[in-house]
Amino acid sequence: MSHEGTLLIIIALLPFVGALVPGVMIRAGRTACAWFTAVPTALALIMLLILAPDVMRGEVIQAELQWMPQLGLSASFFLDGLGLLFACMITGVGLLIILYARFYLSGDDPMGQFYTYLLLFQGAMLGIVLSDNILLLLIFWELTSLSSFLLIGYWKHLPEGRQGAKMALTVTGAGGLAMIAGMLILGNIVGSYNLTDILQAGDQIKASEWYLPALILILLGVFTKSAQFPFHFWLPHAMAAPTPVSAYLHSATMVKAGVFLMARMWPALAGTDAWFYIVATTGLITMVMGALIALFKDDLKALLAFSTVSHLGLLTMLLGFGTQAAAVAAVFHIINHLTFKAALFMTAGIIDHEAHTRDIKRLGGLRHLMPITFLIGTVAALSMAGIPLFNGFLSKEMMLEEASHTKWLDSYYVVPVLATFGALLSVAYSFRFISHVFLGPVRDDYPSNPHDPPAGMWLAPALLCTLVIVIGVAPFLADGIVRAAASAVTGAELDPHLKIWHGVTPALWMSIIAVLGGLVLLLLHRPLDKAWIATPRPEAKAIFDALIMSVVALMRRITDATHNGAISRYLAIFTVASVALGWIAYSGSGLSAPTRELLPVPIVIAVGWVMLVVATVSVVVMHHHRFRALVLIGIIGLSISAGFVYLSAPDLALTQISVETVTIMLLLLALHFLPKVTPAESSGAMRFRDGIIALAAGGGVGALAYAFLMRDIETISDYHIANSYEGGGGTNVVNVILVDFRGYDTFGEIIVLGIAGLVIYALMHALLDGPAARRLKNTDYTQDRSRDRHPLMMVVVTRVLMPIAVVVGIYIFLRGHNQPGGGFVAGLVIAIALLMQYMASGFAWTQERKKIEYHTMIGLGVVIAALTGVGSWLAGRPFLTSAYTYVHLPPIEEFELATAMLFDLGVFLTVLGAVMLMLYSLSRIARSAGETVNEAAMDYDPGEHVEDAKGGT
Amino acid sequence: MSWLLALPIAIPFLTAVATFLTRDMPVGRWLSIIGSAILLAASIVLMNTVLREGVIAGQMGGWAAPFGITLVADLLSAVMVLITAIVAVAVSIYALADVDEKMERLGYHALFNMLIAGVVGAFVTGDLFNLYVWFEVMLIASFGLLVLGGRPEQIDGGVKYVALNLVSTIMFLTGIGLLYGMTGTLNMADLASAVDTADQQLLTVVAVLFMIAFGVKAAVFPLFFWLPASYHTPAFSVSAVFAGLLTKVGVYALLRMFTLVFDHDTAFTHTILLWVAGFTMVVGVLGAAAQSDMRKILSFHIVSQIGYMILGLALLTPLAIVGAVFYLVHHIVVKANLFLIAGVAQRIAGGTELSRIGGLYKSAPFLAVLFVIPAFSLAGFPPLSGFWAKFLLVKATLEIEAWFIAFIALAVGLLTIYSMTKIWAQAFWEPHPDGVEPKLSKLSTRERNAFLIPIAGLAILTVIIGTMPEPFVQFAERSAAQLLDPTPYITAVLGEQP
Repeated sequence: MSHEGTLLIIIALLPFVGALVPGVMIRAGRTACAWFTAVPTALALIMLLILAPDVMRGEVIQAELQWMPQLGLSASFFLDGLGLLFACMITGVGLLIILYARFYLSGDDPMGQFYTYLLLFQGAMLGIVLSDNILLLLIFWELTSLSSFLLIGYWKHLPEGRQGAKMALTVTGAGGLAMIAGMLILGNIVGSYNLTDILQAGDQIKASEWYLPALILILLGVFTKSAQFPFHFWLPHAMAAPTPVSAYLHSATMVKAGVFLMARMWPALAGTDAWFYIVATTGLITMVMGALIALFKDDLKALLAFSTVSHLGLLTMLLGFGTQAAAVAAVFHIINHLTFKAALFMTAGIIDHEAHTRDIKRLGGLRHLMPITFLIGTVAALSMAGIPLFNGFLSKEMMLEEASHTKWLDSYYVVPVLATFGALLSVAYSFRFISHVFLGPVRDDYPSNPHDPPAGMWLAPALLCTLVIVIGVAPFLADGIVRAAASAVTGAELDPHLKIWHGVTPALWMSIIAVLGGLVLLLLHRPLDKAWIATPRPEAKAIFDALIMSVVALMRRITDATHNGAISRYLAIFTVASVALGWIAYSGSGLSAPTRELLPVPIVIAVGWVMLVVATVSVVVMHHHRFRALVLIGIIGLSISAGFVYLSAPDLALTQISVETVTIMLLLLALHFLPKVTPAESSGAMRFRDGIIALAAGGGVGALAYAFLMRDIETISDYHIANSYEGGGGTNVVNVILVDFRGYDTFGEIIVLGIAGLVIYALMHALLDGPAARRLKNTDYTQDRSRDRHPLMMVVVTRVLMPIAVVVGIYIFLRGHNQPGGGFVAGLVIAIALLMQYMASGFAWTQERKKIEYHTMIGLGVVIAALTGVGSWLAGRPFLTSAYTYVHLPPIEEFELATAMLFDLGVFLTVLGAVMLMLYSLSRIARSAGETVNEAAMDYDPGEHVEDAKGGT
Repeated sequence: MSWLLALPIAIPFLTAVATFLTRDMPVGRWLSIIGSAILLAASIVLMNTVLREGVIAGQMGGWAAPFGITLVADLLSAVMVLITAIVAVAVSIYALADVDEKMERLGYHALFNMLIAGVVGAFVTGDLFNLYVWFEVMLIASFGLLVLGGRPEQIDGGVKYVALNLVSTIMFLTGIGLLYGMTGTLNMADLASAVDTADQQLLTVVAVLFMIAFGVKAAVFPLFFWLPASYHTPAFSVSAVFAGLLTKVGVYALLRMFTLVFDHDTAFTHTILLWVAGFTMVVGVLGAAAQSDMRKILSFHIVSQIGYMILGLALLTPLAIVGAVFYLVHHIVVKANLFLIAGVAQRIAGGTELSRIGGLYKSAPFLAVLFVIPAFSLAGFPPLSGFWAKFLLVKATLEIEAWFIAFIALAVGLLTIYSMTKIWAQAFWEPHPDGVEPKLSKLSTRERNAFLIPIAGLAILTVIIGTMPEPFVQFAERSAAQLLDPTPYITAVLGEQP
């Protein structure tokens, strides 16, 4: 890369690096902060000036850093005449603004942040004008929106500032997004995202069928950024920003980014009818409309804001004409507008700062009190009005000249007449600015005591005014930069000669009409103003706000309507979606022919099926009565277990029965604390609707199951059967699958169970602190309680059953690997036995006899299972690899010890612990509900009565 | 390779056990952080190995695939594990200040680490039923975390969460049953070829069932209702880890299954996904526009952003998948961080309801800077990570001239900007309505560090991804290539196929 290229990259990066400093350095003082901002800006400007001579000669300086080549994105920059012009404007005005802001901002404003944002913005803006890659340009483009958002909202305590910032970001953000799409399309057309390639492919682009969409999308971005009709409304509201921001972003630089981009893309996009009619017309409308509104604004900054809108319209129109002469005029006017408008904004800021108002109706006569400001403001405003010997006159003449021979549709009059009208309005509001603010008698009701500010504040606008006059008197001085920039815009070698006197041309007459008409309008301002105020007209901000509000309100309605909190509705939506999608998928091209025959239905199955159906329907019908529903659920569970038995799946049956028993028992205990009956929650119509949905879903699943059962498959289970004994050391394939082939799944599942126990415990804990506990305490359970809560017979039977159940549990556990059984079932069996003790003698009695903490049991179980797995790691095998051996211990017959069994022990402990923890949680509720606790095994202690009887005799 | 794959599950699991045993002691929270840090180290090793050696697989219990359970990590799995570990570290540090002793005694750290184990388990498993198991672990652990603390609105949200998610797992289980019923296998790599001989029409039906089941998990339209009903209720560290990780497991599962197994009728399945993506983006962002609570806004945005990821999957072009993968990773970092920040805002400003708070920008400028980064990344501003994510996807849509969906994606981006500025303007710019000055100095030094270190870390990560996107995009490209051509994946699991 050449030295020039390196310099270019430094220019582009300098503001970003510099931006870090002022935010951190604020403690060093406000002036230091300003210096830290000014130095990188000045350095960038100096480097630009070093490069300037080469560029003026027509050289293009390029620099490239690879960034993301696969996406067509590179950090490549180039500097040509147009880029140089804008870059100098950005850094040059930036310097003036830094100076101005130092004196403008008050001590309460966090100045470090301000300068940081300002440098960020400056960097983004420089990035836009220097990018040689449209994707890179997009990035900087979005960054300007973001930094402008932060700057507009800088006075965050002002609601207008916040609103203005939000609106600006929304509008320019929307445009930015459209532009992303447009640029991507453009890149697709050309096959490159490099600007230099794109600019040379103008013919290819204009011939493409995607030209128009790309053009419209890019123009959306441009028009929103440059505040063109109908997106102009954000700009006046952005004026809530501090004046340095308004002067810098919203007149000199950011809003010109759109204009810049149109100029940049000129060779690639301009010259077609679509370009002319969209761009020129929008510009024309914006110019006239902006000027008209400006005339009637009383807020100085609003007046200048609409004037800016109008001048941006003028520039847009010129670029829209698509001729080389118009491009020259546009470039020249960019320079001129920058000088006088920034000066005017600063003047407005000074007046606001000194007089504490910006309301024109409260001002007047300031020329005596603020002579310096008066001089600056007048020079700038005369330039804005287009009075000869000021630079605004020159470019306005060029504009009128171009307008005078532009044909719109078939009319030769539309453009010249409207352009003259726009110029006329411009004269009127410029004169109004001078006469209503500075001229007239001195008033005695200013909110403050206005006088000229310190030099730091007027120096910057004064410098700009000097430029206004110098260019106005000696326009040839700007020849070089205008030539370089205009040549870059058009891609042709232009050699414009800027002069004051062009002879008696139509433009001159138009200019004279404009000045005279403007003076007349100013004289008529008072009645016109009344008429204007009385005329109803659409307020763009109101429309925008109403639009946002209505969208939000609509969304709130929709969201509230759909998210009504009812699970039944959510489930209905879920089910309808599933059935509908499933049905569409199912009813496609048709199924292959089934490969299996239908078997005859044995009578046992038929009966079981009917029972299952009846029980299920009954649950649905009777679910309001919770106890009955629970009993019916028990029946369903048992029917399914019976089905497993019938289909020769003893393991499944065993598990299912134990699970059913434990679940139903726990549910029964929980039911005790709930209302006995569910209130009816749905109307009849809703129930009908839900019924249909449910039937459709059930039918769907049934149909699917049928379709699958009618077709043959090969499964991996053959392998499992073949290798169960060989590899897993067990003849019970189901158990070997659970603890060996798929032990990893089981490991996960016991974790689930363990966590479930924990969660229930935590939930109970929380409930007992909350409102639920109060409700429980106030419930009266005595009414429906049996008088003999712990009947003798039950106590006796469960005590007898206990050792038997334990033995059965151990037996089931031990045989599990070869016969139906296993740790899971064993855990449940023992849990059931313990549950029965609780039911018989109450929890306190049982609790006293337990030796181990349930939490620990769960933890132990999970850890044992895990260690089994890790053990195989230590032995250098994959996680959970099993090993087994046979042990012969007389007098017991030979049995097998497999590591899988240790794993099963973990399962056993976890299951037992989890179930018992759930039970424990339930009993806590019982006790918190005020249930009396018995320490003895039975309420009725026979022992006492024996004593009594003895005593009696 | 087995241990390398099982380690990321074993570490949080053992951490869970350790924190469970020490739940009455303050040491538990430090164990949680140490565990997460070790997990991070393990996941870096895993990532490194996968980058170097390609897809790796390990067979649990030493049973050859497809008969046992396979763990497998390709680039997507590896990066998901890595990002999970990063979030775990961040959130476990954050929990030092966010989780009180009462929640700790009830097993917060154990549940948190089990959740992480479940998430990681889902990312590295190569077995469909095993995926279901990890879904269950996640579901139960997340339910526990959701209701821990037991405020009535938590219970209410928790019940909706668990009810709708249970239905989805039932759907998942039905799908597994049916898929096994037609192919006789559960191994995902094996399924990829086994489905070729099955009845294609029925396979499409099964695909739809999986789409629904995973769709609920991922919270896509119209199955997302559980998410906004519950995510704003629990502790902030819990919200953050949910927001970052849980829905992404659903997206991951969709991404995996609908590139590996269900790619037989993409004209049908992926068209549905495209519609789903569009509606999800729009409905989510519009729902957010209607909210006025910071956490609720962020919750609806999760939904909306999921739409983008689904969009990438639906388009199924290489660039679109790159976009989806990139989006997935970026979004986890950003979204978790936004919830963490909301937690700090709540602590110092006294709430998350936007009309009741304010003044954060003036009083806590550092927090404001930390908020701007993820918020504007989410909104897709350059040069933050979200810009690249959206950019990749929009580029992918435009490349195949899917104009309408490109328009939707961009318009939703705009509404996202709107929402973020709403939070920014009301919580940060506007003065506090009660005149409170929400200063960070209200927190003790310890709390401040615990809150801000993870937030700053994630924000830095966002900036790194944003300013140096190239390696990340390249990674996403490699990952997408693996997804679109699963041959290495299948070979790693099943060995060389004849």
